[in-house]
Amino acid sequence: MEAFVSALLNGVLLGLAYGLAAIGLNLIWGVMKVINLSHGAFIALGMFASYFLFHSFGLSPFVSVILVLALGLVVGMVAYFIALHRVISAPELSTLLSTYSLSLIIIGVGTFVFTTNPRAIDVGLGSLHVLGTYIPAAKVLTGVYSLIFTVLLYIFLYKTWTGKAIRAVSMNRVAAEFMGVNTTFILSLSFGIGIALAMVAGALIASVFPFTILSGGVYELKSFVICVLGGLGSPLGALVGGLVLGLLENVLTLKMSVGYVPFIEFLILVVILLVKPSGLLGKE
Amino acid sequence: MSEVVLKVENLETGYGEVQILWDVSIEVKRGQLTTIIGSNGSGKTTLLRAITGVIPVWSGRILFEGEDITRVPAYRRTEMGLVMVPEGRMLFPEMTVLENLEMGAYNKRARSRMKESLEFVLELFPRLKERLHQKAGTMSGGEQQMVALGRGLMASPKLLILDEPSLGLAPKLVIEVFEIIKRLREQGITMLLVEQNVHLSLMLTDWAYVMAEGRIVMEGTGAELERSDEVRKAYLGV
Repeated sequence: MEAFVSALLNGVLLGLAYGLAAIGLNLIWGVMKVINLSHGAFIALGMFASYFLFHSFGLSPFVSVILVLALGLVVGMVAYFIALHRVISAPELSTLLSTYSLSLIIIGVGTFVFTTNPRAIDVGLGSLHVLGTYIPAAKVLTGVYSLIFTVLLYIFLYKTWTGKAIRAVSMNRVAAEFMGVNTTFILSLSFGIGIALAMVAGALIASVFPFTILSGGVYELKSFVICVLGGLGSPLGALVGGLVLGLLENVLTLKMSVGYVPFIEFLILVVILLVKPSGLLGKE
Repeated sequence: MSEVVLKVENLETGYGEVQILWDVSIEVKRGQLTTIIGSNGSGKTTLLRAITGVIPVWSGRILFEGEDITRVPAYRRTEMGLVMVPEGRMLFPEMTVLENLEMGAYNKRARSRMKESLEFVLELFPRLKERLHQKAGTMSGGEQQMVALGRGLMASPKLLILDEPSLGLAPKLVIEVFEIIKRLREQGITMLLVEQNVHLSLMLTDWAYVMAEGRIVMEGTGAELERSDEVRKAYLGV
């Protein structure tokens, strides 16, 4: 029973972090119709940013996450103008290739600089006693922070002028331009926010699990599964999808080897695509 | 009253290698309703795309309130007061009616006046009042056209461009749209109308241009054009 409660709690907390990573991917798809194949690379970059800030400046990941967010925003907006701006209206293959090359460059340079040795951030916050079971405090904070960032994004998208402009661009780019929205800026901002969320998710997850520069790939795949599960273009769906995946991962491993988890995840992906391709909360 | 708001001078443009517009010049005067009529493929839509800045201009100039805006990006033109109500309405379907109207007032000039604009729009379209929190995509075509017009008015336009506002509407709603255009004209709102419904447009308009094969082939008051044999034959079917 205790193991089950522990698995549930772990599942929810990690699921929130997976959801956050997936929301970044989802936002970029929703606004720009770009499938961001560099998402995992940026998640890994977020892990290393957090690692560097922790070991060089002694900043806890739960403080430095704000810096990672700002860094991600800037890097993402610059990356938009370098890699995407000229091909944004081209067929999907161009943006796929473009973001894939971005990924290759980041992973390539990252491997050269950081090697592929595993790293870890030991925040040393101990464990919390919750519902009769012990959960690492870092994991609790990771879940709580992810939820906060998700809520903040939601408020931003629905309550501010800029957020509404992002939603308008996602629905009709030309009409948004007619409203006086600088759509080029909004597209770069959306990519910046998507990348920032990926890096923040990476930074938070890095406080829980060890990682290498290649770790992003795993979370990128999870993000894809989550987006399909929850429905592309639905931020709430991404959150729900994240929770489902987090719970599956933790509850299933009570009974089976960890090695089977990706198999189950992709089985779900295939089943959803066959049965309800628009996702659990998707439209149409 | 006869001050020129929009002046298009010797405009030429097209897509890729294909030239669509040939030496097009038009003027829109303040407080007036100016109409462009022409059959499908005559270049009306291309002309509006050039005026709103969605496609680049090859040669010629576009002046708005005396200022050369030929190279000004589309979103800045809206900020300056050149506001487009696009063909097909182009609402934001997942936003509520209220959010759509608010997006109309996105530009800095309009934002500060949003409350008054909203009152004005809701007075013009009382039916939208009870629909404010409904998603725009779930409304009927006629209601969507009202939202589109309302959204354009929210932008505090100095020139309101209406691209085929009656397209795809039932005859009763077409009359309704023209009633609204008439009321807006009485309010002194400067408008540039592009319409397929030649008869109703010519009845209302102060000045009209006829386009064919990418050129302006005729211009005059609504009454003059309606009497002209060519227009009657080509567009009115009589």
